[in-house]
Amino acid sequence: MIVTLGACSSSSGGDDANDKTDPITIGVSLPLTGDFSEPGKGVQQGYEAWAKIVNDSGGLLGRQVELKILDDQSNADRVVADYEQLIGKDEVDLVFGPFSTRLVVPSARVAEEYDMLFVEPAGAAKEVFEQGFKNLFYAAPAVANDHYNHLADKILAMPADQRPKTAAYAAMDDPFAQGTAYGLKEKLEAGGIKTLVDEVYPPNTTDFSGIAAKIADSKADVLVGGSQYQDGVNLIVALQQLGYQPKLAAFSTAPTNPEFASAIGNKTEGVLSPTGYSQDAQYPSNKEFVEKYTAQFGKAPEEDQANGYTTGQVVAAAVTAAGCAEQGECQKKLVDWLRANTVETVVGPLSWDETGKPKGAHMIQQWIGGDIKIVLPEDVKEAEFLYPKPAW
Amino acid sequence: MPSGALLFQSVLLGLLLGGLYALLASGLTLYFGIMRVVMIAHSAFLILAAYLAWWLHDQAGIDPLLSMIGTVPLFFLAGVGLQRALLTRLRPATLTMMSVLLTFAIALLIEGLLGYAFSGTQRRINLGYGSASLEVLGARVAVVKLIAFGLAVVALTTLYLLMKKTRFGWALRATIQHRDAARLLGIDTDRVAGFGFGIGLATAAVGGTALSLDTTIYPSLHWHWIGPLMAIIVVGGLGSVPGAAIAALVLGMAQSLLQIPMGTTWAQTVFYVALFATLAFRPQGFFGGRLAQRF
Repeated sequence: MIVTLGACSSSSGGDDANDKTDPITIGVSLPLTGDFSEPGKGVQQGYEAWAKIVNDSGGLLGRQVELKILDDQSNADRVVADYEQLIGKDEVDLVFGPFSTRLVVPSARVAEEYDMLFVEPAGAAKEVFEQGFKNLFYAAPAVANDHYNHLADKILAMPADQRPKTAAYAAMDDPFAQGTAYGLKEKLEAGGIKTLVDEVYPPNTTDFSGIAAKIADSKADVLVGGSQYQDGVNLIVALQQLGYQPKLAAFSTAPTNPEFASAIGNKTEGVLSPTGYSQDAQYPSNKEFVEKYTAQFGKAPEEDQANGYTTGQVVAAAVTAAGCAEQGECQKKLVDWLRANTVETVVGPLSWDETGKPKGAHMIQQWIGGDIKIVLPEDVKEAEFLYPKPAW
Repeated sequence: MPSGALLFQSVLLGLLLGGLYALLASGLTLYFGIMRVVMIAHSAFLILAAYLAWWLHDQAGIDPLLSMIGTVPLFFLAGVGLQRALLTRLRPATLTMMSVLLTFAIALLIEGLLGYAFSGTQRRINLGYGSASLEVLGARVAVVKLIAFGLAVVALTTLYLLMKKTRFGWALRATIQHRDAARLLGIDTDRVAGFGFGIGLATAAVGGTALSLDTTIYPSLHWHWIGPLMAIIVVGGLGSVPGAAIAALVLGMAQSLLQIPMGTTWAQTVFYVALFATLAFRPQGFFGGRLAQRF
């Protein structure tokens, strides 16, 4: 399947790269069918929103942008063939990454072979950054282990008499969920906060009373849940049953779910959660993105769409700064510029280390007055950080 | 070394869990006793009952405990129908083996229909008293767990009285002990077996409701339950209701206490270790054999 977008001012000089009125073609392969079709389509919408917004405001370097999107059917062999075709045969000027670690790694290898800049919207697992890729950049604020960095800094910066002294961790046996909890654990332990409970549970656990009994007995000041959705809710209810009251409680994913509040009996006040994207975040380009995206698609963007859009913003920033967008020498200039600079995006300012891992952290949201609000980092906060947490 | 408070809390949780296991396992052992049927679909019916409780609460705001007024008779009739329409058609010589296949298919059917009707999303009943608890000597007992335990006690006591004190109970026990002799004495063993099966499924309705009070449910959850329940009835002695109840309490307690040193993942293995040990050293189970026949 081929989707072409953007105003094509066609038949104006064929393949001549020096003709600067040609549209800039961007090759993408996305899982539009198969396992990852849901997030894949989300990223596609983000890319399309980006192309439309760029074209409506005059394009890149005065040229329109045109997306060429292939469907890789969530298949790792297919994704390699797709990028080979896009770069080698179709001679696209730029490429954007696909969705999910499983597809990012093989396709990044192709981009590496052709010396193409490879900015990707979703591939946060550790292995992505252990392959020695030189052209890869992950266009999101942080990998799982760094989600809680703002919270860790905040806790460790508290005056000694207020700072919590002990912590309990419970994480699902899942790389993402564990990554978030253990990232925070490492930092808190290094800061002298003692770990009293460290539990891992299988993904299908439904009875949390045993884990809750251990946590309640430890009376830890800080509670950290490496959770998805239902497990987080079950753990909280089991802890409420045992009358455990932590001074600080943070869960990944669960608290941002729309049904979270009613599921735990509306006793949400003070519960924390990291988030990669918020429609309410006060980053300069975010307001425009939310407005125009909503106008184009009829509903507000979610995290997948934002990640796609961010990828576009990152590449656009490099193209504008380097003043070129084609295969060959230009790609090296784009990579070098991104390596040395910070890009303002809808998810905040992004910069990268030499492996392409973003140096940022997720925003921290907190339930305050019956609504979840950004409390960290300071420059985009919607409400004051609430500590200690009221009883639940 | 865990603190005394944690040990006491875990003992209480273990007791409550064991009570629930006892109720869930009682029906399973009854089927085997009556008909030598291995009922793989028992836990699927548990989950079905839990879904009905959740659905009625979600749609009409009916408290799960009230939903039992409808589900218990419904499941009893379904049990009688299932026995009369399907299980009696299996050849006696291969009944046990074939019943595994038949009930396995029923379990898959129920799981598939639940997934079709309610999707695979995890569900939980949000009760006003879901997080309420009572204090018992420094430990906390959740109200919902106490209700589930109470249901188990009431259901098991009723089952016990039914089996011991009524003519139907005597006929049922006679059928369990010696089917041919029972028939010679004029007991309509087919009818009795049908009713026995209905009672087994009725316990699933009560058990499923108790389950829905305090856990998340999803269509494939029954696979998570059938293993431990099978282990319980083997350890307790196949066909013995008191054996199943005692084994359930002991293993539930063991699971709860083992979670302290071993964690959630490994504590689950206690059921299978007990199953292997029983099969290796006492294949008839600890309360099976003669005790089962006397009950």
